[in-house]
Amino acid sequence: MLPRRVFQFFIIFFLFLGGLMALKYSLALSDYVIPAPSGIFQTLIAEYRQYSLATLNTMSVAVIGQILSVVMALVIGITGRQSTWLGSFIKAAAYNFQAYPIVALAPILFILLGDGFLTRLLIAAMICYFPVLLSVLGIMSKPVDDIEHFYRVTGRMRWQLEVKIRTFENLTQLTTVIAGSATLAMAGTIVGEFIAANAGIGYNIRIALYQSDLGKILIALFLIGITIAIYQALLESLGVIIKRAWTGR
Amino acid sequence: MPLICDKVAFTYPGAEYPLFTDVSFQLAAPGFHSFFGPSGVGKTSLAKIITGDIERASGRVSTDGLNTLFYSHNKERLPGWSGVGRHLTRVIPPSMHAGISKLVEIFGLSECINSRFDQLSMGQQNRVNLIRYLLQDCDLLIMDESLANVDELTREKIILAIKAMFPLRYFIYISHNVMEVARFCDSILVFRGSGKSPQTVMINGCNILKKEDLRRAALDATLLEIMNAA
Repeated sequence: MLPRRVFQFFIIFFLFLGGLMALKYSLALSDYVIPAPSGIFQTLIAEYRQYSLATLNTMSVAVIGQILSVVMALVIGITGRQSTWLGSFIKAAAYNFQAYPIVALAPILFILLGDGFLTRLLIAAMICYFPVLLSVLGIMSKPVDDIEHFYRVTGRMRWQLEVKIRTFENLTQLTTVIAGSATLAMAGTIVGEFIAANAGIGYNIRIALYQSDLGKILIALFLIGITIAIYQALLESLGVIIKRAWTGR
Repeated sequence: MPLICDKVAFTYPGAEYPLFTDVSFQLAAPGFHSFFGPSGVGKTSLAKIITGDIERASGRVSTDGLNTLFYSHNKERLPGWSGVGRHLTRVIPPSMHAGISKLVEIFGLSECINSRFDQLSMGQQNRVNLIRYLLQDCDLLIMDESLANVDELTREKIILAIKAMFPLRYFIYISHNVMEVARFCDSILVFRGSGKSPQTVMINGCNILKKEDLRRAALDATLLEIMNAA
């Protein structure tokens, strides 16, 4: 899983790079607009250490933010699964809130909380929270009648069992959503850093933008891509291990 | 009379015509009873009305003295996170645990008791599901195609065992196998084709308790009655 993900990323990234080079040489663009391959390589040598550390910094915030959002989504999704007033209120609130772009709310967080770790964490968590919440709500609200019927008629159904049955029956969907939300968490953190933070790879991209240094931006994109590919592959492998242990297959 | 249905009528929400309008019958004694008829005439719906799974029906359903009524069907599944043996031990009351090994043996499931539900054949799945319902403390159990995909010999063995082990319980067996309901059931509520009146007819079955009890003439007479009614 891991080598395949990394290999796929390499293909996409180098196709993108090839496209850029084709554009540069076909339109005779200067190195100032799109640096030559040798220039990009020199930037890589010069910046890889600082950019790698910045990417890891961003990644750590994204991972914590994702864990936070998954836990929150599970708690709210399980509470909101019932056809009670509270359940329908939670569902309506989730659908309405997710329509609001979190990026538009980010400046409020920076004003209130400053440009440190907490703000980045909150933005990352909020960006990947709603898609996970909507999936969890969808899974938890849908009864698995052919399994649950017995427990209901014999009076054995408890909320924990209901959650367990629905989780088990939708394990593939759930693990896919959680693995997919890693990308959102990373994107959320970078967006936060890009807007106003004082650390992370998004902050470095912002500096590179002010310097109009496309080489640095390309190096940052490469490191972000490879980090996400590895993290997603690890999450997918974890999902497979959990499925195998639980289902026996 | 523990189970009485009097002028029961039911129309599915949004349906143009009622599924049935005037179903009346009574089951006076425990035993193996049956609903028989073509698909779509309302056997399952009536079963769910009796157990309270469908509440919008009109007419009177009286279940005096029958406190616990279960409806089981052949599409049910067990959770897949543990073997069926472990599942049965967990969902069957301790007072009935002695019956597990006996029924597993009779139902021909000894070899697959440690398998997970999705590793079983459809016939095995239906038998496992039926065991967990049989070993609950209930007064009436409706078995909707509960022995589907089970071979004829095993079905016969299972039905005779159920009748012997649970003589004080009411069973309503929904099946499309005319020979089976004629041989094993005490009374058979035959659902007639659309447009016929009355919509259901109650017929006495052969109600055999052992294989050798069957008299050919009685069986032929019951079969004829069922075919005429349908």
